[in-house]
Amino acid sequence: MNPSSLKSRFTTRFLRALTKINAHKPISSSSPGPGEIFQRYRRIKVAADKSMAYSVRSRRTWSRATLWRLRTRSPRSRLATHARRSWVKTRSTRAASHGKEKKEDGGTVEAEELRELVPGGEAMDLCNLLDETAHYIKCLTTQLDILDRQECTSREL
Amino acid sequence: MASENDDMGLEMSSITMLNKYSNTSESDPFFSSGWDPIVSQSESLGGSSMASHYHLVMENQGISGTSHVSQYQSSPSFVELVPKITGFDGGNLSQIPGPFSLPQCNQIANSNERGSKYSLRSLDEHRIPETLVGTSPNGKIRKRSPESDSPLRSCKNGDEEPGMDLSSEGCDGPREQAGKKPKTEQNSGANSRGKQAAKQDKDSSQSGEAPKENYIHVRARRGQATNSHSLAERLRREKISERMRLLQELVPGCNKITGKAVMLDEIINYVQSLQQQVEFLSMKLATVNPELNIDLDRILSKDILHPQSAAVLGFGPGTNPSHTFSPSTFTGTISGFPNTNPGFLPLPQTVLENEVQNLFQMGFYPGSTMDGFGLDGRLKPEM
Repeated sequence: MNPSSLKSRFTTRFLRALTKINAHKPISSSSPGPGEIFQRYRRIKVAADKSMAYSVRSRRTWSRATLWRLRTRSPRSRLATHARRSWVKTRSTRAASHGKEKKEDGGTVEAEELRELVPGGEAMDLCNLLDETAHYIKCLTTQLDILDRQECTSREL
Repeated sequence: MASENDDMGLEMSSITMLNKYSNTSESDPFFSSGWDPIVSQSESLGGSSMASHYHLVMENQGISGTSHVSQYQSSPSFVELVPKITGFDGGNLSQIPGPFSLPQCNQIANSNERGSKYSLRSLDEHRIPETLVGTSPNGKIRKRSPESDSPLRSCKNGDEEPGMDLSSEGCDGPREQAGKKPKTEQNSGANSRGKQAAKQDKDSSQSGEAPKENYIHVRARRGQATNSHSLAERLRREKISERMRLLQELVPGCNKITGKAVMLDEIINYVQSLQQQVEFLSMKLATVNPELNIDLDRILSKDILHPQSAAVLGFGPGTNPSHTFSPSTFTGTISGFPNTNPGFLPLPQTVLENEVQNLFQMGFYPGSTMDGFGLDGRLKPEM
């Protein structure tokens, strides 16, 4: 396995985060309440997304957007979210006008949907959006693969 | 290499004359060296038009084109020169034109391409030699130099149009529209050329694609509008369609889909399902993970170095016959989250079964490493 591949980078980061999460919860042998489970689920999901985004660094728009999102998730940073929203709005209007000017056949409707799905896709024209989507899909499949394996191994333990 | 025979020498002299027009000093070796690879490549690419063009031009000069061409092809010196020149221009190495540097592109590209196009068109139409003859006196000066064509091609695109006839036609029109750098070059040849040829060359150009340069030279295809907007839009559309093709390969089961809207729908569904799967798996990890001390090394080794064992364990009691991805099944899986636990209990697998499942997965997902779409096989979709 390639030591510097996306998969290995993500795996190491994610497993480290996972061990940290598990260390945080000393009492899980007894049936944890749904709240606890949900909390852990949130943490694990965040860890997965974060590790994936960190593995990609800032090379991709979606990873940057994901990291931003994760950083400014807390309500205290309202300023940051407001700043980001205004930036996104300006970019998206520009992108939208650009897209509408050269209207693809039916592509704008789906493009909007795709933009919502792919993080950071709001302010991108279709061409770059497709690029980001391809990379995002690749990273998502890697993430899923590792998560799945992790789940299997922890199951068999 | 200049003169394999007298006729070749004639053309070589024309090429040298052409060199006078060009400012770069290295144009000479470029031209001469570029000849052979252009010829060989174009012929290897099946660029019959090129050969025919050669043939036609040769006819004008009283040389049999094929023999001339073969002569060039046989000379190894040209081929040797090519690698040397390759280092010159690292930008466009996808095709033969690669080795040729931009300055040449500047100087010769437009007119040469135009001329070649025109000559090609004349070939297509009725092999009217007189037009070529008319241009050949001028063209003699800017010979059909594949080199000049190749830098153009390197600048422009990778089509196999033989830019044989170097008419220094100032066809900057489309290029200026699409490109960012105005290509100025000696237009003197253009003036001296036939007006008809010039006009035709200006109006229609060869098919083009964006090369790998900072700015993009686009060529309008024959019979297509050369409006700057339409050119840019066409380029954009091509880019988008190219990316859609890449995405088609990524998303399983989209080989037969032809259509942007449907494809985009599939992509959206796939991305949605992937995200849902991530959430689902993380939820599972949250519930299934009571053990606190996850041996990092063990898991790393298990996950990475022995993907088969981990993958197979999660395969569950059944095998997944359908290796084609269907979003509906996954959404079904997600919705059935509370009930998934029993289905995913990994039964103890024998070694033989592991191998069988490995083979199964290998066979159904050829070429995909375990981190590809093998996930489809691991999860139970029918849940």
